[in-house]
Amino acid sequence: MCVRDAFATQAPWFVAGPLLGLCVVAVLALLNGRLGVVGGFSDVVERVSERSLKLGWKGTFLVGLVGGALLWAVVSGGRADDGYGWLTRTFSDPAVSLLLLVAGVLIGFGAKTAGGCTAGNGLSGNAFGSRAAVTATVTFMAVAVATSFVTKWIWGAAL
Amino acid sequence: MIRLAAALVGVVFGFTLAWSGMSDPDVIRAGLLFEDLYLFLFFFAAMATALVGVQLLRRSRVRALLTGERIEPETLRPERRHVFGSVLFGLGWAISAACPGPVAAQLGQGIFWSLATIVGIVIGLKLHTARARART
Repeated sequence: MCVRDAFATQAPWFVAGPLLGLCVVAVLALLNGRLGVVGGFSDVVERVSERSLKLGWKGTFLVGLVGGALLWAVVSGGRADDGYGWLTRTFSDPAVSLLLLVAGVLIGFGAKTAGGCTAGNGLSGNAFGSRAAVTATVTFMAVAVATSFVTKWIWGAAL
Repeated sequence: MIRLAAALVGVVFGFTLAWSGMSDPDVIRAGLLFEDLYLFLFFFAAMATALVGVQLLRRSRVRALLTGERIEPETLRPERRHVFGSVLFGLGWAISAACPGPVAAQLGQGIFWSLATIVGIVIGLKLHTARARART
């Protein structure tokens, strides 16, 4: 099996999961920091609104993340463009853009209010033993599962 | 050096997210609907690895390699904002079948639907800042 095939098929969870977890450990061991992605978005937004490009480490982490995904696309050949999941199978393109925009507002405002997203609270915060992170994780998991079932019930089978 | 190190960890993080299919909305939605357990196996394997590593670091009392600070994983008590914010976040996560890491990974892979989500995230962050200012 050549390298391209190995990366083109989904990584086994017992490889990808620990790899992701080690990133959390690395940020703590190197910088005494809490790995998170919303913090990276905030950093970039703040710097840009100050017309400065001197990113903090959370911002450069986000830039690296985008680069890492690009690297994967190059190494594996990327994924075929087949729309955007259940949204493009259910709604028209303009409606999907609007729904993603609204979802983005909920994600940005919600994660910033809760002090983290699936990475900052879900991975790092829980690993740190933060009770606030456990509360946040249980909440967003329950809401996301319930919302997915409700949308499936309303709009039918398109997964 | 600190920024460069964070960027390199980011590269590993982004590569892993893309390779695990987290940037594919179908993978996340199938997980949230319990049709495929990959999402939860992946997430709990990541969390368990991080938990073991973090607690070992905390107990070893070593200093952070690049900053020299004592390693102190920050813990917080739950407040109302953690629940309120996470309800909104969970809604957005389910609709887009993506959270901030995967959205950034989509951008790197050239999935341009992510631009709509990113514009939304930026607006959401600005709203948060405006609300915080209005309250002080």
